Amino acid sequence: MKVEGLNKHFGKDDAFVDVIEDASFSINKGELVALVAPSGAGKTTLLMMLGCVEAPSSGSIWIGDEKVYDNKWLTKETRKIRREKIGFIFQAHYLIPFLNIIDNLTLLPQANGTPDKVSKAKARELLEYFDIADKETAMPSQLSGGQNQRVAIARALANNPEIILADEPTAALDTERSVAVVKMLKKIAIEQDVAIVMVTHDERMLEYCDRVMKIEHKKVLFSGARANTHLI
Amino acid sequence: MIHLAKEDIKHTLGKFIVTAMGVGMLLGIVLIMMGVYRGMIFDAEVLLSDLDADLWVVQEQTLGPFAEASCIHEDLKNTLKSIPGIDKSEAITFQSIQLPGKNGGKKVRVQAVGFDIYGDINPINPKRLIAGRNLEIDHYEIVVTDKTGYKLHDRLKLGRNEYTVVGITHGSVSSGGDALVYLSLKDAQQIQFSYSNKRIQTDKARGITSKETHLVNAIIATLRPGFIADDVANNIRKWQHKSVYTRAEQKNVLTRNVIEKASKQIGMFTAILVGVATIIIALIIYTMTLEKMKEISIMKLMGLPNSMITKMIVEETLVLGILAFIFGNIFSHLIYSKFPKRVLLEVPDAWMLFGVVVIASILASFIGVKKVISADPTAAIGG
Repeated sequence: MKVEGLNKHFGKDDAFVDVIEDASFSINKGELVALVAPSGAGKTTLLMMLGCVEAPSSGSIWIGDEKVYDNKWLTKETRKIRREKIGFIFQAHYLIPFLNIIDNLTLLPQANGTPDKVSKAKARELLEYFDIADKETAMPSQLSGGQNQRVAIARALANNPEIILADEPTAALDTERSVAVVKMLKKIAIEQDVAIVMVTHDERMLEYCDRVMKIEHKKVLFSGARANTHLI
Repeated sequence: MIHLAKEDIKHTLGKFIVTAMGVGMLLGIVLIMMGVYRGMIFDAEVLLSDLDADLWVVQEQTLGPFAEASCIHEDLKNTLKSIPGIDKSEAITFQSIQLPGKNGGKKVRVQAVGFDIYGDINPINPKRLIAGRNLEIDHYEIVVTDKTGYKLHDRLKLGRNEYTVVGITHGSVSSGGDALVYLSLKDAQQIQFSYSNKRIQTDKARGITSKETHLVNAIIATLRPGFIADDVANNIRKWQHKSVYTRAEQKNVLTRNVIEKASKQIGMFTAILVGVATIIIALIIYTMTLEKMKEISIMKLMGLPNSMITKMIVEETLVLGILAFIFGNIFSHLIYSKFPKRVLLEVPDAWMLFGVVVIASILASFIGVKKVISADPTAAIGG
């Protein structure tokens, strides 16, 4: 993912609020990037812009080779971009409670037009990868919190995304489990060859990330080493 | 392909079915209301078809005994027989009376039909006579409908005299839905026009010495083959002191003048109930949609198209409506026979309601669909 000259402001005249100013960066496949900022600094806004949910005020966004935003969305249906190129992980697992585990995983690929057989094969592969293959017909309510968290991560991978946006996936977990989840995300980034941006408030998690993205005074700044990455 | 509506309904099947049963009971009442209306139309025509008369001659400028008081002389039946085209003509009376309750029980409101038992037209339809016989002597015999509760050979007091039940009919009702009883014309006239001793004394004191009792409510007539009812009726109308109605006109009087208001009232109730059912379905779907807002936001954020989510809402609403319709049918068929008046559940009415339910469900789903379209995908982000 590449971003150039990204700006976001809200309101007009007296109510004008500048949130992000002239952000330019790229995030590479295999890379786990932590997004850290105080409350109200614009984390969610930035995440929503990267997730093609909220339109920036100006700038450009590329996902893979495709330029999706150039001072305006270059496609009518931003949802299609999300469906095909982006995976989401939330604070809680937020699985669809009335769908069983395999249906939760195949919902998005099937909406993309992937044949039932293909989407199920991919879903089973992911469940195997996360060591929950025996749970494919279970309902989310029948699984433990940890198992649901793994299903939620598997779901984010089910549509073969270019990038995964994780909104505080460790917020509700204790330190030990938080570390396990972040390590898992790092492993996924490398093994599944996907870029991951993870919003976190927990500074203890930063050491497991490749880079740290901060928002300070409306500017997006990076720190930390680059490893195991290549530009998407 | 995953069927979202099916999976969601499966997930909350018990709740969904109970909700459909609740709405179904409401739709069942709609069906019953339609059945009451059909029953009224049917009842209105029972006596008319049993009498099988081609012409009704009644008091001038009145609509006849089904709609208002009509009083004419009994011997008019003889005059009518001389009119070209008239085959048979008989005098007939109708009056609402209260039958004494059996064993001192509650009185039963009935309509008494008086006819000449030796005459040519007998209003007792043999197909309806389920026990006993027709009236054979012109005094103190009565044929009653089974709904009155009386059995064969029971005795009951009407006016000054005691009557014996000699026949029982089934399904004989007046245009107002009251049970019918049949009396000889003489007995009926006596009950209608004879007064108590006290009244006779009072009348005498007022100078009223006699009272004409050879009056009836209508003369009914049948036509010879080859004669047209309207032509014969026009011929009688020339007398200008009687009103004449053909069978079709009398049926029109019944449906237009007698039960029109009642049917309009029932129609309004039905329309209101359908409206209420639509609002209830809409509210249920709205609540069900609200319960799923987090999931809907997540689905939208992940990129699921609106069409897929709205399809789920519309399908769930339709399934709810159709299930409710099925429960409504079961419910109405279970209870319709318990109603005191005839309730006729007809298949075309049920299909019409089905159409209304489908349209109402689609309309009701709009409120849920609107909520889906306005759902904010960013609501999935955060706690």
